[in-house]
Amino acid sequence: MGLANPIGALALVAVAVLVALTLHQRRRRARRVSSLLLWRQLPTAPAERRRFRPDLLFFLQLAMLLALIGGYVRPYLASSTPPASGTALVVVLDCSASMQAREADGTRFELARDKVRAVIAAQAQGTRIMLVSAAERPHVVLRWSDDAARVASALDALAPLDTPTRLEPAVELALGAASRSNGATVLIATDLPPAPQVRRGPVRWIQVGGTADNVAITALTVDSPPFGDGRDRRVLALVQNFGATPRTTTITATIDDAPWTQRTLELPARGTEQVLFDGPRGSGVVRVRITPDDALPVDDEAVAWLPPPHPLDLVLVTDADAMATAFSSLVAALPDARLEVVNAAGWRERGGASTGQVALFDHVAPDGSGPALFVAPPPGDPICRGARRLDGAAAIDWDDTHPIVQGLDALEALEVGDVTQLGRPSWARVVIDAASQRATFPLLTAGERDGHRQACLGAALPVPLTSSDALPLLMVALGALRWASADTAETPLTVETGVPLLVTGEPSALLVDRVGVRRVALGDGRERLVLANLFDATESDIGRDGDGDWPALAPPRLIAATAAPHEFGWWLYAVGAALLAVEWAVGARR
Amino acid sequence: MTPDPAAAVARYAHLGLHLAGGVGDRPGERRIPGRTDVTGIEPEAWTPYTPGDDLRHLDWNALGRLDTLLVRRFTAEREVVLHLLLDTSASMDACADDHKLATATELALALATIGVSSGYALRLTFLEDGGLGRRSARHRRRTGLIALATMLGDATAGGALDVGAALGDWAHRHRERGVVFILSDLLVEPASLEPGLAALHARGFAVHLLQVLGRSEWEPSAHAGGSFEDAESGAVHTVACTPTVLARYHELLEQHQMALAAVASRTGATHACLLTDTPVHAFVTGELARRGLVRPR
Repeated sequence: MGLANPIGALALVAVAVLVALTLHQRRRRARRVSSLLLWRQLPTAPAERRRFRPDLLFFLQLAMLLALIGGYVRPYLASSTPPASGTALVVVLDCSASMQAREADGTRFELARDKVRAVIAAQAQGTRIMLVSAAERPHVVLRWSDDAARVASALDALAPLDTPTRLEPAVELALGAASRSNGATVLIATDLPPAPQVRRGPVRWIQVGGTADNVAITALTVDSPPFGDGRDRRVLALVQNFGATPRTTTITATIDDAPWTQRTLELPARGTEQVLFDGPRGSGVVRVRITPDDALPVDDEAVAWLPPPHPLDLVLVTDADAMATAFSSLVAALPDARLEVVNAAGWRERGGASTGQVALFDHVAPDGSGPALFVAPPPGDPICRGARRLDGAAAIDWDDTHPIVQGLDALEALEVGDVTQLGRPSWARVVIDAASQRATFPLLTAGERDGHRQACLGAALPVPLTSSDALPLLMVALGALRWASADTAETPLTVETGVPLLVTGEPSALLVDRVGVRRVALGDGRERLVLANLFDATESDIGRDGDGDWPALAPPRLIAATAAPHEFGWWLYAVGAALLAVEWAVGARR
Repeated sequence: MTPDPAAAVARYAHLGLHLAGGVGDRPGERRIPGRTDVTGIEPEAWTPYTPGDDLRHLDWNALGRLDTLLVRRFTAEREVVLHLLLDTSASMDACADDHKLATATELALALATIGVSSGYALRLTFLEDGGLGRRSARHRRRTGLIALATMLGDATAGGALDVGAALGDWAHRHRERGVVFILSDLLVEPASLEPGLAALHARGFAVHLLQVLGRSEWEPSAHAGGSFEDAESGAVHTVACTPTVLARYHELLEQHQMALAAVASRTGATHACLLTDTPVHAFVTGELARRGLVRPR
């Protein structure tokens, strides 16, 4: 038995306090009488007066106090368990994308798995084995088992994924499991070199792989200006050569499997090339591929979504004629764009936007459904939760992964004059944060409300809209309008393997471990097209120094008797609570 | 809590106070049989005419029949003031369960009701910490009972009081004779009361000691605890409440009551004790009636 918090014993001082309080209270409990005239003539009881005579209430209070102090010092019982027989081995097998790299004798994963099999075969009979796969997160494939057949079967079932490597959590998990098992060692099979801090433990490290022959597409972005005619859409690919020798490669792009364009690239050793594809003739899934194949094919192809041209069909709800005129000029410059201007009263009579239309509410925030952008909503509106007007603010931070502001570098210079301090409504997330002299607050929030995309922009749009000062804000507004008017059901989700993406519904995150194009049923019941890529230059940089085997430097931890402390402080707290109830009942009777 | 004067009138208006002594010289409405005056309403005696007598009071019938000049003398009408001295020291509220102060105020209002119905003028004085405290105006009508009841309702117990000294002080401040009812627990040395009572007696006051005691003072129980704190001085005395000790307490209390009665007797006063668990009207119509102080009108 021991104490997890021995310093807590200082609380025993409270017992002395209780005694003092009891004595004090007893003096205070002297019964008031009109006069001591008669009582004084009776003999005094000196023993009664001086001796400390605790009553039942005192004992109950003392017991309650001791129980609480007992709980506070967190006593525990160390129960002994018999030492485990035989030895144990925790196997961590790297299953990340780089393990798909082809070497002369096979893939790195196959080589590593063969070495693991050999190590397992060399273990003594009865050795317990735990199998952990390591990719972007650890996964316990097999818990402790001394059944060789089960271990072999679990090992055979493993396959490398298309995700980046995060080996540290898996190693930590293995070391933790080994520390709780008698004489357990850890075997790590990966293509990464041994980590010095891990080598101090009972860890054997096996490294496989040596080739650096890899050319990868490490980024693929689509630049589609809002409400353009489609001709100014561009696709930019970043191609990197991770090899030590120059490479000549061909890059081809298709749109929905229809050929689009092809280039030949001369890549220097460990060089990078940006490839720009413009003038697409259609819309759909853009697939960019480099040939010939190299040692790691998983990063030779990338996919992206090329949205179709989407003309602006805008309902402007404003009471300002200048704003209506400014938007008329703007819409006239956009291809196939349509504009309808109504004032707030007219909007209420109208009752909402037509199908396909997106509404822009200027300085008003009526509770209408449909895709909408609320610009400079009045303070106190229930949708955007505007708090108050401020004289000026500047953008200080933004979510550059959000489609509204993706690719907008001009936000760094975004300063606004008349601005509403927005709140953080539960239906939206913050896209741009701004700061004034007095507060930091959301400048742009966006989310899905009543099944429609809606956004709130705290800053008022300056007139004329096309002045150079107003341009960043106009781009934000147009981006928000495009995002709000997009058909969410038809727009694919673009993800990176191993990186969770927040989605609506339950489960609220989407995690993909294979590259390519597939349809996925999301939590809200809808099926969406998902485009997954491995855009990880570290993972694609597969060059290694060759195979290696580093034996464990520290011996396995032998535990004669495992002490499994069992704290029972909470029971003492429960006893204290029960005693409190009893003490209260006894005290109430008096 | 303010006692209800209407209820007191309904309960005690049919009773009258019959008090001897305390009659002063101030003309009033209360007829004093046995004392004659040259003016009045009710003839009581005749005296030989002497020069200077008011000829309007000459009994012409007696002159015709007896041929003697006789002057009518009337029953004197005087104002007798009923002084209610209420102890409001801390001892009157030492034990909340006894409600001594509330009982004393109820008794005071009962006496006031009976007194004003009997033609007495009323004045209420609080005996407070340090001596004499608030006092009321002199009330001669039943309407004055309302103000009196309000003042009684405002009475709060607190502070220390030397009842004997306060009575002496009061006697020295009041030269006009009257009737004094002292409402107190009288848990003081009886000897300390004697100078004050003697002073009252010497000034011609008719004094009545009405002692109000709580049941817990009359019969303290063993579980009451061993330590007792004086409500006025704060002194603490510890006693083992054994049956023997309690028996001794009863003995001492009886001796105290007897000493009080002896002091009252020596100073021409009356002494009656009211226990707080006894209804006030029962005390008025029982104990006070038995002593001849209260009678049906």
